Amino acid sequence: MNLTISNVSKTYPNGVRALQGISLTVPAGLYGLLGPNGAGKSTLMRILATLQEPDEGSIQLAGLDVLGQKEKVRETLGYLPQEFGVYPKAKAEDLLDYFAVLKGITQRAARREVVEALLRQTNLWDVRRQQLGGFSGGMKQRFGVAVALLGNPKLLIVDEPTAGLDPAERVRFLNLLSELGENSVVILSTHIVEDVAELCTNMAIINQGQILLEAEPLRAIERIRGKVWRSVVEKSALPALAQVHAIISTRLLGGRTVVRVYGEAAPGAGFEAVPPDLEDVYFTTMAGHYHPTSAQEGGAATS
Amino acid sequence: MKLWKIFYYEVAYQLRRVSTWFYFALLLGLSFLMARQVFVNEALVGGYYLNAPFAAAQVTLVACVMGLLALAAFAGGAAARDVETRMHPLLYTTPVGKGAYLGGRFLAAVALGALLLSAIPAGLLAAALLPGEHADLLGPTRLASYLSAYFLLALPNAVIAVAFMFSAAVFGRRGVVSYLGGIFFLFAAVVSWQLVAVHQGNWALAKLTDPLGLTVLAELSDVWTAREKNTLLVGLQPAMLVNRLVWLSVALGLLAFTYFRFRLAHLAERSRRAVRQGGPSELPPETAIVRSAPIASAPVRQAFGPGSRAVQVFTIAKESFHLIVTGWGGLGVAALAAFVFLTGPLWFSEYYDVPELPTTGLWANILENSANHGMWLVIPLLIVYYVGELVWREREAGLGGIAGAAPVPVWVSFAGKFTGLTLGLVAAQALLVATAMLVQVRLGYYHFELGLYAQVLLGLRLVDYLLFTVLAFALHVVVDQKYVAHLLSTLAYVVTTFGPQFGIEPGLLVYGSDLGWSYSDIRGFEPFVGPWLLFKAYWAAWALLLAVVARLFWPRGPERALRPRLRVARRRLTRRTAATTAVAGALLLTIGGLLVRNLPAPGASPAPADEEGWRAEYERKYGRYVGAPQPLTTATRLRVELYPQRRAVEVRGTCFLVNQARSPIDSIQVATTPGVETRALAFNLPARPAVIDNELGHRIYVLAKPLLPGDSLQLSFEVAFAPQGFSRHELAASVVPNGTYVDGGWLPSLGYQRSREFRDARQRQLHGLAPRPEVTPLDDPIALQHVSGQEQVLVETIVGTDDGQTAVAPGTLRKTWATAGRRYFHYATDAPIKNSYAFFSAAYAVRQAKWHDTEIQVLHHPGHTLNVERMVRAAQYALGYLTRQFGPYLHRQLRFVEVAGDRKTLFAYPTNITFEEGFARLNADQDPRGVDLPSATVAHEVAHHWWGHQLAPAQVGGAALLTESLAWYSALEVVEATQGREQLLRLLDMMRDDFLSPRARAAEPLLQATDRVQYYRKGPLAMYALREYTGQEPVHAALRRLLAKHGSGTPPLPTPLDLYRELRATTPDSLHYLLHDLFAANTFWELETKETTAQKTTAGNWQVTLDVQARKLVIDAKGAETDAPMNDWVEIGVFAPAKKEGQLTHLLYLQKHRIHSGKQLITVTVPGEPARAGIDPNHLLFDWEMDNNTAAVKAKN
Repeated sequence: MNLTISNVSKTYPNGVRALQGISLTVPAGLYGLLGPNGAGKSTLMRILATLQEPDEGSIQLAGLDVLGQKEKVRETLGYLPQEFGVYPKAKAEDLLDYFAVLKGITQRAARREVVEALLRQTNLWDVRRQQLGGFSGGMKQRFGVAVALLGNPKLLIVDEPTAGLDPAERVRFLNLLSELGENSVVILSTHIVEDVAELCTNMAIINQGQILLEAEPLRAIERIRGKVWRSVVEKSALPALAQVHAIISTRLLGGRTVVRVYGEAAPGAGFEAVPPDLEDVYFTTMAGHYHPTSAQEGGAATS
Repeated sequence: MKLWKIFYYEVAYQLRRVSTWFYFALLLGLSFLMARQVFVNEALVGGYYLNAPFAAAQVTLVACVMGLLALAAFAGGAAARDVETRMHPLLYTTPVGKGAYLGGRFLAAVALGALLLSAIPAGLLAAALLPGEHADLLGPTRLASYLSAYFLLALPNAVIAVAFMFSAAVFGRRGVVSYLGGIFFLFAAVVSWQLVAVHQGNWALAKLTDPLGLTVLAELSDVWTAREKNTLLVGLQPAMLVNRLVWLSVALGLLAFTYFRFRLAHLAERSRRAVRQGGPSELPPETAIVRSAPIASAPVRQAFGPGSRAVQVFTIAKESFHLIVTGWGGLGVAALAAFVFLTGPLWFSEYYDVPELPTTGLWANILENSANHGMWLVIPLLIVYYVGELVWREREAGLGGIAGAAPVPVWVSFAGKFTGLTLGLVAAQALLVATAMLVQVRLGYYHFELGLYAQVLLGLRLVDYLLFTVLAFALHVVVDQKYVAHLLSTLAYVVTTFGPQFGIEPGLLVYGSDLGWSYSDIRGFEPFVGPWLLFKAYWAAWALLLAVVARLFWPRGPERALRPRLRVARRRLTRRTAATTAVAGALLLTIGGLLVRNLPAPGASPAPADEEGWRAEYERKYGRYVGAPQPLTTATRLRVELYPQRRAVEVRGTCFLVNQARSPIDSIQVATTPGVETRALAFNLPARPAVIDNELGHRIYVLAKPLLPGDSLQLSFEVAFAPQGFSRHELAASVVPNGTYVDGGWLPSLGYQRSREFRDARQRQLHGLAPRPEVTPLDDPIALQHVSGQEQVLVETIVGTDDGQTAVAPGTLRKTWATAGRRYFHYATDAPIKNSYAFFSAAYAVRQAKWHDTEIQVLHHPGHTLNVERMVRAAQYALGYLTRQFGPYLHRQLRFVEVAGDRKTLFAYPTNITFEEGFARLNADQDPRGVDLPSATVAHEVAHHWWGHQLAPAQVGGAALLTESLAWYSALEVVEATQGREQLLRLLDMMRDDFLSPRARAAEPLLQATDRVQYYRKGPLAMYALREYTGQEPVHAALRRLLAKHGSGTPPLPTPLDLYRELRATTPDSLHYLLHDLFAANTFWELETKETTAQKTTAGNWQVTLDVQARKLVIDAKGAETDAPMNDWVEIGVFAPAKKEGQLTHLLYLQKHRIHSGKQLITVTVPGEPARAGIDPNHLLFDWEMDNNTAAVKAKN
């Protein structure tokens, strides 16, 4: 079971080139798609969810042509969009039951079981008879998860799922996903680096419709080990610093600025080596310091 | 300033949208088309200019109705876009006041509406100024007419409508609610106009309650003369101004209410129930991520087979149905049902408020949503609304992505939603049926025919709804713009439903159309079922194609641009879809081909009376033979074979003709009926056909030897008629399996048929015919001599029909026998009858009765027994009275034959009087006023055997005075003599109310009148008034003299002038002025009692002084009023207090006084204490204001 995306491009009528020749190979497991807002993540996710047509390119899921055999793909698809609503007057249980029918769980008894199990897993069992209109953002998000999980999807696409969740919910949700990833392809798009760092076995960084990096998070971090340096400077010193060094990130801390820079060698006095994290990978990639060429991961990605 | 900013932003936002300009262009086009095409006929018939101010107002108001939908888009967007897009938290937290916010948005919507509606005058101007085919029908261009239509009609409508829609959307928090506001608006207008005004006659109220002003326009359309329509401005009429003021105030009040109730606050997205439960119980999140069960514990079996698809369709249907029933749909239909229940009884007193039996057939016809009852638009509009809601359901809820990714084929979603809406419609129709039965129970009628309800409401009508639903789905899916699709769907419905009124005839190009149908207890749905089914099969094939289109473009995912949608559509075009398309196409072509073969092809078809060209052609070609002497028929022998089952008629006949002219006749002109096969036409003397024109229905035979005066000739012929395909020939509908009714008028007749000519001046002009007076002058020499068709003939008929039916022809039934599965009847007249007869055949029940030696029969549909005894009795009364007054009834039988139809009127053929089912349903015993209209109507038809059959007038203007007016006058006499004066007065009240209800005052005098109201209502009232002035004997003496002089039917035929002459001879000289005022001029009196006072005299009497005002005026046919000096005898009456509540009885004084124009005091002395007094208390003279004739008497000290 894996998902192959080859050379997918999409340009909107207003001229925005949302995707430019994207190619990715997504194995089973949790896959993180990391990128800033507007990078093209949602467009790619919608294309994978059979809701949009790319201008060119092809997508294969375990032998299925995702673009040509949409109906077949949908039978094993779970999709949680970035933004979604509900019928405000419907009750959680009823609407989930409704979607269960749509997902082909047409046997009444089986459906009841599935619905109950999902409502319990998403911690919505006690509010199942309440109208969805009264749900908080987190409850609604969990409801969406329940819908996405209906029918044990082989391909699960979750678009920025953790945005509205509180920390505990987020953890629970991510655990749920990683469990699912044991035998499905789960693609998680996010702009939150921790989401990927904690769970994903594979990831890609996307910006302006292009894949900047395709890697395993731990390996990617390994690649820059010893190349990330940290210093605490005055705010006024920053511009000068930026001229000389490849700055990854800056953070205010008690009136002073903690600055992290990227460098093959020690940048000099005041800097200390620090263990890198995925955020460093992300920012260095985004800033263009970290090139796939210098961190080959099997040569899949191009820029 | 903020207000301005908000206003400006909103206007700019809408102006950037394509839909705004689409609406504008559409309205422009519609206005242009309406001015150019739709209302042309109305202008032609009404005789006013195409660009008359009235026409401009008419188009403006109708276009406003169309514009409502676009206004709803503006108002809804302005009111609720922020909430819908969830932008409101951003906006509501800015320091903008709610006055500026609401005001700016409302004004923006109004401004956009004003801009939009400016398309109407633009369209009108374009229609008037651009060159076109009716340029000769245009008057001078007057800017005022456009300005007033825009500023006084369109603009106020926009403000009022937007106020309603805006408030609705603000409170409903959804833009589309404004659309429902529009529906309500239209409903209020249509109910006011059609129900309150037209139906109930309460015009004064309806003119106020109609928010669009349509009712005011409708009244002016009746009341105004052509000249007024050409010159006066509708918007400046007091009724219109009052209407505008009332509704603008209501709108202002509503806006104020909206302002005070509106809060710039967060709108909790929770229902009331959730609030009651104390909101959602947010559970504390589990801190430990412990799960008892792994994900998706049980292996889930997903199934995508046909069974599963069925379950999915059903599930979606259930969800959609639930949405409809619990939402506005349920509310709307429930309101409609409540409306039907409340107003139900009103529907059964349509004919002069006489109660009618609420039979299921009638009820089903009313509820079946015909174009006549605009209020049934509610259901189609709800269809449009809900199709939009369902198509947009997931996307608007934000569920578009999730639902789109679900493994449900598009056709399942479509089928599910369609089924849900279908269920909703079934429920609505079932509710209407239940309500209808409740109304029947309420009216004490218990003969429910559930099957019939089901056939009409769940069969015929539902099919139409469903076809329309498919179209609406396709439009909504393809257009993908909610409001635009709403508008287009509504337009489509309007075009198919009201098309015929715009000149868009049903046919193969008007989606969903059919040739129409009607139901009658006698003939069922025949002969309309076959064509109807074929048409609907054809449209079902189209609907299948539309469904395919809808499937291909069904929205899934966020894509809205054309190219990607086309790409998706191409992907969806699977082999199965292509096969479906092919099947639908094949069906369409096959059935379409069948239809084309069966439809009357233009030209080759029998021309219906209103299809115009051939009548002009007939006149041009054969008009020169008008008045050419022709032999007259003296006897006719007919063999009529009716084949009701296979719907055919064959007639063989011989006419015995005599030359009664003074000169020899060398050629015979025979008129045949186009569309009816006339063959084997032959004479017993040598003759050669000179012209045989079957298309125009005219033949000329030249006799070898001219027919000398007094000589006779026989004409034999064979005529066959079997409707081919869906013939629109009027005969086609009258030959049916049960209830055949065939008029003899389509048998060959002699001479040029002047009745085929156009009368109307404009139509003559349009068809290039020489102008001539619309009304044939009283001294028209040709008309005076034209006896053909009215001559006295002996008719002998053998008529055969299917076994089990009774066939009827004029005269005595001599013999009846059965042979070879057919039944034959031999009829013969005992005395000559006017040459006008018909044949009937149905499974009749017969009620036999007698009046002296005359046999009275009522042949009626079994079960239609309500009025049978009443008819027998009324016929006996009438024969008794009329023979005493005007001479013997010449025949030995009088039959009443029931025929299919809802009308309440009867038609008197000699010896055979037809009555329609509508008359059989009249339930006069339930009439709260106690009027026995059915009996009087029977007396009227019996009286036609004197007035019309014996006295057959020349076909000139006013001819109906000698038939209809005299027959009604006689009926009044019969009623008075046999049912009492009380009954007479009630009837007179009814007639007077009808005559003096709002209508155009301009009219020809009675002697030349061609308008129904004149000779049916004013005529009898005038005769009655005369009788009240002169006494009965002089009037009847004159009538007897008239009959004696002209009863023989020999030319010159009588005209109203003969009646006038006879009446003048028996009327005292002192009343000649009255005779003139009543008959020779269109005279009205304005009589009013300003004040009356009374004083007791010493002798114990009371001296009553009346302060009266009088005026007499003459209004000519063009509407010009002239004051006539008055020195008339007018009754002065004084009445004692009523003994019982509500009675105006006990006459103290009634004498005629000389009354002159202007104010005057009249003093009379009466023996008792007076309560009321006044001038012309019995309303003998025509006075629009009858209420002010009398006044309460004030005591003077």
